[in-house]
Amino acid sequence: MTDHLSSELLIDYLRRELPPQDDALVHVHLDTCTACRREYEVEASLTEALRAAAAREEVEFPSLVAARVWEEIRNAKPSPLAQIAALWRPLVALPVAAALVFAVFLVGPMSHSGPKIAASYYLEEHAAQQAQNPLTERGPAASHFIETSALDSDTSTELADEADYGVAATGVIDAVR
Amino acid sequence: MGAPRTRIEPPTPEQATFLERAMTQYGKATYNFAYRLTGNESDARDLAQDAFIRVYKAWRSFQPGTSFLSWIYRIVTNLYRDELRRRKGRFQEEIPEDNAPQEFGGQRPLAVTPIEDYVERQLSEPLSLALAQLSSEQRQVVLLADIEEYSYQEIAEIMGCSIGTVRSRLHRARALLRRLVERAQKES
Repeated sequence: MTDHLSSELLIDYLRRELPPQDDALVHVHLDTCTACRREYEVEASLTEALRAAAAREEVEFPSLVAARVWEEIRNAKPSPLAQIAALWRPLVALPVAAALVFAVFLVGPMSHSGPKIAASYYLEEHAAQQAQNPLTERGPAASHFIETSALDSDTSTELADEADYGVAATGVIDAVR
Repeated sequence: MGAPRTRIEPPTPEQATFLERAMTQYGKATYNFAYRLTGNESDARDLAQDAFIRVYKAWRSFQPGTSFLSWIYRIVTNLYRDELRRRKGRFQEEIPEDNAPQEFGGQRPLAVTPIEDYVERQLSEPLSLALAQLSSEQRQVVLLADIEEYSYQEIAEIMGCSIGTVRSRLHRARALLRRLVERAQKES
């Protein structure tokens, strides 16, 4: 590097943007070349002057700007799409909710009716069988059937009542016969 | 800056907090950057306002852990570039090409305030006056490199150009600045 350094190289050196090897070469050259050293100092002083000028002219953030930003946001209205969505929401939600309630109304009893139907079905079948056998105990047998086969849940009592109802129904059938 | 505004949605609490913090912590830097870019307070206020509205709308696209200042400088730079393009049709002055630096002679890069106001306010600052003679791209790169002290890589990301373009713009801009300042010093 016997020639003088270009201003581009000096600017890159000043900004520490050179690769390490080039940076070292420029550094060494500046130690020995007065002209390049002077040129480097001019570039450095330009940077310093720019920063000093910027610092002198620095101003505070105008509160007016922040106020205008917030005002613009406060006055914001939802986009047409969002407005349609907001309008559409109750129109969709209400029928859906109504449908859900209706579905629960329909399905709710059915969810309990499975075992009930099964139990009453067996009870009636069992009662019918027993009705043909007058030696058999009706009530206790029916209750026993419920206790053992039906359900070990809270509905056992309810089913026991139904069992009684089934027995009573069988009694009615017998009476008719 | 009078740019057409897109619709703004009402804020969520997180969004409002984000914007509040952004303006509190970076309002001054953003406004000063806008002021140095535009050269006048009115445009700087509009530019800063538009930038924070953009921050508000795009707050989710900011990646935590990255530099917020770089992000908002990029927003300001883009808005300013858009504004210059928008105004290009309304002003007879052309945006100087990067490879054709302006000669010192009173041509200004799309300044919108009367020259009298500008001279009256900043005549004591030959360097600031010289800075105003640069093209908008040259001025941006000088501001980011020499005043904000960003690296070439960071400036390239902010301005959306290559590092080589940043280097060439900075070199040309500084060479022009030196000539302008030397001439101003001789004249004074």
